[in-house]
Amino acid sequence: MSDLDNIKAKRNLTALVEFSRIINSSLDLEFILNNVLLTCMGKFFVTKGLIALKINGIIIPKSSKGFTNDIINNFPQIESSEKLFEDNSFKNFLASNNIAVVDKISSPQECLGIVCLGEKLNKTSFTEDDTEFLRTILNISASAIQNSIMLDELKRVNRALDRRVHRLNSLFELSKEFGMFSESAKVARLLVYSVIGQFLVSKFAVILFNGEHPNILESKFDVSELKNLIGKYNFNEIENSVPKNEVEEKFPLLQKLGVELIVPMQMQSETKGLILLGKRVNNHNYTETDIEFIYSVGCLAIISLENQRLFKEALDKQKLEEELEIARGIQKNLLPREIPKYSNYEIAALNISSQHVGGDYYDIISLDEKNFCIAIGDVSGKGVPAALLMANIQAFLRIICKHGMDLSEATGIINDLITSNTSDGKFITFFWGMLNDESPTLQYVNAGHNPPLLIRNKKIQKLELGGIILGVMKTFMPYVTETIGLEKDDIIILFTDGVTEAKNINDEEFSDERLERLSVKYSKLSAEEILSNIKNEVQSFTKGALQSDDITMLIIKVL
Amino acid sequence: MAEFSTSTKDVGEVSVIYLQGYLDAHTAPALENTFSNLVEKGKYQTVVNFKELAYISSAGLGVFMAFIEKMRENNGDIKLSSMNDKVFNIFDLLGFPLLYEIYKTEDEAINKYIESKNLEK
Repeated sequence: MSDLDNIKAKRNLTALVEFSRIINSSLDLEFILNNVLLTCMGKFFVTKGLIALKINGIIIPKSSKGFTNDIINNFPQIESSEKLFEDNSFKNFLASNNIAVVDKISSPQECLGIVCLGEKLNKTSFTEDDTEFLRTILNISASAIQNSIMLDELKRVNRALDRRVHRLNSLFELSKEFGMFSESAKVARLLVYSVIGQFLVSKFAVILFNGEHPNILESKFDVSELKNLIGKYNFNEIENSVPKNEVEEKFPLLQKLGVELIVPMQMQSETKGLILLGKRVNNHNYTETDIEFIYSVGCLAIISLENQRLFKEALDKQKLEEELEIARGIQKNLLPREIPKYSNYEIAALNISSQHVGGDYYDIISLDEKNFCIAIGDVSGKGVPAALLMANIQAFLRIICKHGMDLSEATGIINDLITSNTSDGKFITFFWGMLNDESPTLQYVNAGHNPPLLIRNKKIQKLELGGIILGVMKTFMPYVTETIGLEKDDIIILFTDGVTEAKNINDEEFSDERLERLSVKYSKLSAEEILSNIKNEVQSFTKGALQSDDITMLIIKVL
Repeated sequence: MAEFSTSTKDVGEVSVIYLQGYLDAHTAPALENTFSNLVEKGKYQTVVNFKELAYISSAGLGVFMAFIEKMRENNGDIKLSSMNDKVFNIFDLLGFPLLYEIYKTEDEAINKYIESKNLEK
């Protein structure tokens, strides 16, 4: 070996040791690759160099010098490093870029990637020594490259893990917060902030389907446009998240508005609302895990929103119950507490109020020593308004009775008063009559009430004469009265439609015919007995069905 | 309950918002109010100083997203400064540094506004 060769070899060795020291002192992949390239280029006088590494099975350029970006971007996709030199696109790449040398970077286990070097500046070809030296450099760098690839991968995994942890934290925090908030607007806002903060979104909307019309809680899209579109699409039929390409396909108008993702908010797999999101400001797409996260947040929010709605509903219902209780109280107080005794009449009365509190009313008012008044009425509507109207008519009735007016005239006045006291089509069907206790007679007026039955010798006479129902219009024609002389054992049955329209489980009505038949059948009994018999018949008829209206009956027997 | 407060200070035309404590779903509305007030007053050049902020959640980050467009449309911005590592890490994790200017100090952020104003002249 000549001295010159010796010196050369020594210099090479020193360079290699220095190279090894530098390469192995760093875990920065970019730095390492840069160094490998520069060392090769300097050593072989090459102007172009490229290192491509195998990442997820595909060889991708990681560091290069002397190539244009275009060439790097169009680097052929090569999947297998074994058949590298049979790949036509790779062969083309080598030829068109005047690549002189290609070598693999291999760890003891696997091929990590490749190095491509261009022609030498002096156009001489690579000697055996050169390739040997290149091999050595690559062998030295292989472990450093492998370590730094692993570190990068570790960092990437760590970051992905960090992101997941962060998301879980967000979910956890939100579930806590959603439990605390009471206003739906606040819940929606919180939902939106979490999503836009997490995904860098500036356009969004939250739509709820809890009423008749979809309710836009939050929107940074054009609200009037959005409202228009809600009418055009069946949003509440969206059951799965709609990603970008499907929005384009199925909801082109929404896409025009800037919507890129639609995520349903579901409870028990029923869509109760939607989250609409615009594009991410960093131009990333929503990944499947992103959509999953948004879906989870949406479900948390909808539970909170639904709970509030149900809570409010329960409150309203409770309020209604209280109102009904008041109405029941008013109604009870209006009815006579006990029935007066008369020498020529036996009277029995019954009032069963229904769940909903109807507006049935009956009364017995003594006028003087000899005369008294009986009345029955049914106020349209239910609840407090009906009860109040009932109180109204009772007050009028009592006052009028005190003044000893003519029955027809009095009915006219009552009608005028009720008409001016009611609105929204409320009315009262009303029957009243005056009974004389000395020589039994009945004078009555029927203002549109179910005609009471007068039963004499098993024959029925209906007490129908009178005029229009109370409360519909001012009296323009005097009410007609009828006077009937009563005989011993005559029965008068006053009732409301709660009796004849009582329904059984087959939705059939008790009916006028049935009542009339029973009235005749029991007409020999006492008033009290007739009442309890008819009541039992009604109750056995309606057994198992819900009582939907008040049931009121008044039975008068002439002694 | 987590505590959070904001205060603002005007430095020339720039409004500096100081955050303190825990900015999470529960406290986010407070920051929202602060921003809304600035928008109402037409103050769009803002710097948010995170020096005293211990924690920020996604909902907190959302507030910045909700106002950034408004500010930028009006020749303003939301510039962020003085984050501790933990807070920065969360911003970084979600990719905020690509969209927001983040500075080491409040002064740097304020100076950016002044510089760009001088450039306009």
